[in-house]
Amino acid sequence: MPMDFSTFIVQLNDAIVAENGPNLAYLLRPTSPHGKDLVKEFRNPTRSSMSRYDGCMQPPWDDIAIQYVLVCTHVAKKRYIDAFKEESQLVSLFLRFFTENRGWTLPALFSILRDLRDLAMDADFHAKYNGQNSECMEESARIIAKAFGHCMTDRTSPPDQSRKWGVYYVVGLVLKSYFRVKRISLSKNILRALEANTDIPPLSVFPRSHQVTFRYYIGMLSFLNEEFEKAEVELTLAFYNCHLEAHSNQERILAYLLPLRILKGHLPSAELMKRFPVLDEIFSPFIAAIKLGDLKAYDQALEKWETRLLELNLWLSLEKARELCLRSLFRRMWVATGKGTRIPIAMFHSALTISGIEVSEEEAECLVANMIYRNFIRGYISHEKQMVVLASTNTFPRVADRPSPLAMI
Amino acid sequence: MSSTANSKIAESSKSAEQPAKSETQPHLGVLEEDDEFEEFPVADWKDSETDLAHLGGAAPGAAKSGGDKLWEDNWDDDDIEDEFSVQLRNELAKTKGTGTAMEQ
Repeated sequence: MPMDFSTFIVQLNDAIVAENGPNLAYLLRPTSPHGKDLVKEFRNPTRSSMSRYDGCMQPPWDDIAIQYVLVCTHVAKKRYIDAFKEESQLVSLFLRFFTENRGWTLPALFSILRDLRDLAMDADFHAKYNGQNSECMEESARIIAKAFGHCMTDRTSPPDQSRKWGVYYVVGLVLKSYFRVKRISLSKNILRALEANTDIPPLSVFPRSHQVTFRYYIGMLSFLNEEFEKAEVELTLAFYNCHLEAHSNQERILAYLLPLRILKGHLPSAELMKRFPVLDEIFSPFIAAIKLGDLKAYDQALEKWETRLLELNLWLSLEKARELCLRSLFRRMWVATGKGTRIPIAMFHSALTISGIEVSEEEAECLVANMIYRNFIRGYISHEKQMVVLASTNTFPRVADRPSPLAMI
Repeated sequence: MSSTANSKIAESSKSAEQPAKSETQPHLGVLEEDDEFEEFPVADWKDSETDLAHLGGAAPGAAKSGGDKLWEDNWDDDDIEDEFSVQLRNELAKTKGTGTAMEQ
């Protein structure tokens, strides 16, 4: 049976009285079945034609109910920008109610913010398609950031019913919006506000979906700022706490975690890569080259994938990981020559030449010096004798054993 | 001109000047530009539904020596016998024989 407006109001009221957040979320979702019913009931509603319903519920709910009908109507008529504007209004009205209530309202808040963001995406997409300018996503980020503030400032609810349980989810949505419009520098302000607030429960006690999304974006921000140590910590936790069935999210995390782990000296196992064929295709040439010390193959892979690696912001980290491949090459030469402790620079040079890397002998010496400085090789260079004197034990420490490998990059 | 625009051109026109280039750049599935981190269908889940399950108490990302089978931290191989290795050994023996590589 189709739902009419008066039934809708009764149900909204019931959900509020019962403090049933999920139900409230359902009632306010434009894609719920009753949305279509209400569109049919009113045909061409406007704010003024709906004004006869003012006062049908306690404010701001009479307005919210009316806004909902307007949103559904615009969505049905494919007026995307109008739908976004009315939804923004709905969210603003809801926030008035939200600030005076406890955490039970969070499912509804999350839901309307998601809808707001989705409508912004549709609006911007269609505007762009029609050659128009539209900044709905920026606007939605502003509104969502405001909602974040209202979660943070809950000073009255008991801890277990606090609106603070919404902070990480909502910050995740804000960050997602900043990434979408490529304005990630805006993230600083909201993250500073989050850090400044000391009475939020630790992230690890929040639902896993909140943790994983938040850590993914923090990890990405750190990665893009070349704070590789922090990025590695956050993305590792995001990956391991992600639901196994959320395969594309795991893949997305792993795309940036892989180069960081490689730089650290942890190569992905075949078992792991088998689960992610797309990533396997990109990364396996690099991993194979590192294991073999095949510098030429490594450079060819860098060249072959250059365009995509640059687009994905992965080029720099893989270019840095090239030194692991160089280490392997020198190590293989060392093994092939019987693991001696005195090896002429000329031999390091030959190893490079055989590998197809044309450099001068001076350059080869420089590369060895750098390997020693970066703790890949233990030893020293006698420049006059053009000789590398190697430590007799642990000559090539495991890459993973170097002190703070990611800090030195 | 951005690299994005270039690759789009390469993708859309098969007869373009760089057909070879577009062939070498495979499809990246979810990593394509317009996709984003997805909403999870449920809010919370157990360890057993994640990659924490196989760790048996090890720290995530500890690598094989630390009990995490997803990562290898011992991958140095002293017994690689392939073309590359043999060639390397021969050349280096030659270098050793002549005393210095400079004479070549």
